[in-house]
Amino acid sequence: MGYVLWGIFGVDMNVWLDAFLRLQLVVVVMTVTVMALIYIERKFVGRIQMRLGPMRTGPYGTLQSIADAVKLLTKEDVRPATADWWLFELAPYVTFVPVFMTLLALPFMEGWGVRDLQLGLFYIVAVSGVTVIGYLMAGWASDNKYALLGAVRSAAQLISYELPLILAVLAVSMIAGSLNLNDITLQQDTVPNVVLQPLPFLILVTATLAELSRRPFDIPIGESELVGGPWVEYSGIRWSIIFALTEYAGLWGMSILTALVFFGGWEWPFGTRSWWGDFDFLYQLLLVFVKSSFLILTVMWISATFPRLRVDQLMAFCWKILLPFGFLQVLINGIVLTYLDDSETARDVVLFATSGALMVAMAWVIYLATRQPPREERVGAALAARSA
Amino acid sequence: MIGVLRSLGVTMATMLRKPVTIQYPTEHRKVPERDRAFPILLYDFEVDEPFCTGCHACERACPVECMTVTMKDNPKHAEGTSKRRKIIDEFYIDYARCMRCNICVEVCNFDAIAMNNTWAGHELSVLDRKDLVVDLDQLLALSKSKQIRPWVPS
Repeated sequence: MGYVLWGIFGVDMNVWLDAFLRLQLVVVVMTVTVMALIYIERKFVGRIQMRLGPMRTGPYGTLQSIADAVKLLTKEDVRPATADWWLFELAPYVTFVPVFMTLLALPFMEGWGVRDLQLGLFYIVAVSGVTVIGYLMAGWASDNKYALLGAVRSAAQLISYELPLILAVLAVSMIAGSLNLNDITLQQDTVPNVVLQPLPFLILVTATLAELSRRPFDIPIGESELVGGPWVEYSGIRWSIIFALTEYAGLWGMSILTALVFFGGWEWPFGTRSWWGDFDFLYQLLLVFVKSSFLILTVMWISATFPRLRVDQLMAFCWKILLPFGFLQVLINGIVLTYLDDSETARDVVLFATSGALMVAMAWVIYLATRQPPREERVGAALAARSA
Repeated sequence: MIGVLRSLGVTMATMLRKPVTIQYPTEHRKVPERDRAFPILLYDFEVDEPFCTGCHACERACPVECMTVTMKDNPKHAEGTSKRRKIIDEFYIDYARCMRCNICVEVCNFDAIAMNNTWAGHELSVLDRKDLVVDLDQLLALSKSKQIRPWVPS
């Protein structure tokens, strides 16, 4: 094991073998993480609802995910008679592969990813946008009106929330002056970006919730009205790919991305080098693990708390609030970074002040929007005023 | 906006509370004393025979007619060890038919029948409906083994 690890950690090796080993490592870690996350979410949400969660399979139900995996893999793979064969069979892969591809550009330790890309952030944003096509394929090919409705809703939602997400990470990459995730993380040696840019952080978390179709934004899945969204007709292994793997691998990837971009990943608070000597990589992994676990638990906590939004509320929130404020943040960042490039401290203070002010302004706008009387009343009042 | 944060606080507060789940088949909630499962017969340990004299009062009162009772002369009365002239011979209750109305307990003149207030009275799944017709031995078993805390309205 040690030999293999050291091979992956920088000893010269055949390029293809190296890439293959890194890929294998990511695949194995991803699968284990997904199974652990499913168990953790069931336990955590159970406790929030004052239940125990899975308890029977293994001690405290720890083997529940393995039992579920065995069940899903051995289940019959049902396909509706009227389904479009190619689209139906391929849709799970089209949804899953982009999510997996985002994992390839993430530096889990300093300089250690499957590939260290100069345009890492751009690559991640570009690749994760493809998932929508998989949902649409699944919904269309199922030949089921609920699946199609869910697919169209998820297409609208994912495409809309892609934009604030891009603006949020863009605002941060402007500060780092780079799209390389290693550079962005290394730049946060003293102050993490979440302090400099609280508003983009909020936007990113909100957009992540929407991208993953989690609770306040689970309109595409909507069990109560759409049965199960684009994957109503799926079962067995295809369902586990399209649902479990995509959702939870996406959650994992996005939380690691957020930890790297906003919480300084393995850099903040103590710098990359520690007193662990040769085992620095373990220390870095631990930091990333702690930060991403915190984010994952926060996402689970949020999605266990809030009820579902309406479609128009969802769209209005994205296009009327998140997107304008994201653009404003990018604009202000540009001005600040252009004219305050001589003093680091002054720059940081101004960045924090402007982003904080924008956050307060956004909260105020949301407050006003929630205090508005319903649209019917406003239209009725306007019509009455005109006829009088 | 404040409500959003407050709701997050509510879920976190419930998370820190103790779960209410009881792991049912391995762990039982304590049933109350006046819990009504199905009727069973009580056993008189002083004279070593059932309290029931087979007087048919419960059988006649039963609204769903789930009981069958027969009576015989009590051999112990002839010996002089028991005050009961008559004693129960055979007693069948069809638990599939019983609706747990408690009327049999209320009409009984000898406090010989009571509602089962243990979990054994509720866990009665069988493979054949016929197995739910229980005879005298089964009706007396719980009382004989002293596992029941009989609660008879007085």
